[in-house]
Amino acid sequence: MEFPTNADVLVGLSRADDAGVYRINAELALVQTVDFFTPVVDDPYWFGQIAAANALSDIYAMGGIPKTAMNLVCFPVKKMEMNILRAMIQGGLDKLTEAEVVLLGGHSVEDPELKYGMAVTGFIHPEKILTKNGLRPGDILILTKPLGTGIINTAIKAGLASQETTERVTRQMAALNRNAADVMAAFSIGACTDITGFGLLGHLAEMTAGINLGARLWARTIPILPEALEFAAMGLIPGGAYKNKEFRESMVSFSSSLSPLLPEVLFDPQTSGGLLMAVAPGQAEDLLQALKQNGVSGALIGEVVRNAQYPIIVE
Amino acid sequence: MKTIDARGLACPAPVLLVKEAIEKEHPAVLQILVDNGAAKQNICRFLESQQFEVSAMQQGNEFQVMGTRKTGAGDASCAVEEIPGEVKKILVLAATDRMGTGDDELGRKLMVNFIKTLKEMGKEFWRLVLVNNGVKLTVSGSPVLEILQEYERSGLQILVCGTCLEHFQLLDKKQVGQTTNMLDIVTAMQVADKVIPLT
Repeated sequence: MEFPTNADVLVGLSRADDAGVYRINAELALVQTVDFFTPVVDDPYWFGQIAAANALSDIYAMGGIPKTAMNLVCFPVKKMEMNILRAMIQGGLDKLTEAEVVLLGGHSVEDPELKYGMAVTGFIHPEKILTKNGLRPGDILILTKPLGTGIINTAIKAGLASQETTERVTRQMAALNRNAADVMAAFSIGACTDITGFGLLGHLAEMTAGINLGARLWARTIPILPEALEFAAMGLIPGGAYKNKEFRESMVSFSSSLSPLLPEVLFDPQTSGGLLMAVAPGQAEDLLQALKQNGVSGALIGEVVRNAQYPIIVE
Repeated sequence: MKTIDARGLACPAPVLLVKEAIEKEHPAVLQILVDNGAAKQNICRFLESQQFEVSAMQQGNEFQVMGTRKTGAGDASCAVEEIPGEVKKILVLAATDRMGTGDDELGRKLMVNFIKTLKEMGKEFWRLVLVNNGVKLTVSGSPVLEILQEYERSGLQILVCGTCLEHFQLLDKKQVGQTTNMLDIVTAMQVADKVIPLT
């Protein structure tokens, strides 16, 4: 397919990224994204918050500031009560308010299956766009949210997750990547993305694709939600994790001393996951400290290396 | 023996059926039928976590998982039908839709025979990569389409060059294999124990 383009398309379909960027003038560009999905939690108010946080995340991952949003709603009018719809929209609205984003409108259709999400537009400086493609040798990789939401959500569906675990993962999925993005703006970042459906290794594989650099991950430091490995051991792994692994495992080398369940967690599809940032090596500790001071948990999980035998090495 | 048919179900439903059966009926031996690799792996993991010895067999797209409650210590293995480490990984790279030069009609016939006969490599036939004219083998009307689809159903990964499909405007006509890029092709060649090129 050929896509129409022009000189003001700074990030478009020719190079898939978290969001598209269109230049208005030398100082200002629009950054746009859209995302919607089926419920990941039972509570409609929390689902609304998670859907909004997830839609906004792509703007943060590009280094942009979200400004406006439009709701996208698919709702089974005949099967569900309107108060479910109302609670869900309220959740989304409250999350937008927290992010200082205004809702300008939206569109809803009747659908046998509930779906909710948003189209989001933000501002970004044309010279400060953070794409997936800018890894530099020596960059340190920082991940801001622990992995395992796909596995835990599968355990919740199976009725096996505790109340405490359910609440923890729900809060995490609803948390904005805003503070992380604000902090990151003051540092030298080579590349950034948010971790979603392809899992950590799927998204990292995209970042190392087509460049002559690899990533070395330090397995022990990668943050993983409590119980994710236990549930993985019980076979509560979403089909998407296996698909991600099948598609990308030839790019990854795992040290034989690691748990055989670790690949499943590192390929686990994440809902509203954290940011993966590649920061200049001299600034990594400072960035981590600044994130913590702003209430964002993060960990140094690896480094970008030259002449790697594999695009990704986990050791 | 308790048999559970979990075909057509998505995760985590198959695991839940097995869990319920174990809790309610305490079977010593269980047989579970599933129709996707994710469900098969998840059930193997679940049974192992419940102290069952596990084995699995594949027939076409379907898997039969057997679980036997452990009496004492024993090694659980869920990988009987998977390729063990010492089996060679052979990658066949076809950059053409006919074999050799000389007579094109003969070349096309030979290609059909070649693709058919590749199965004699058995488990060592690990990946088939199609580039340039080779991608034409994956579209409707291709004399080997059915054979390739059969290979794919039996678990062979067929990688089809996306740039080439685009070049021939065949992107939406491909009937088999995964569309891929040069990095994945090069990585697969690097990981393979042996690469057989057909140009």
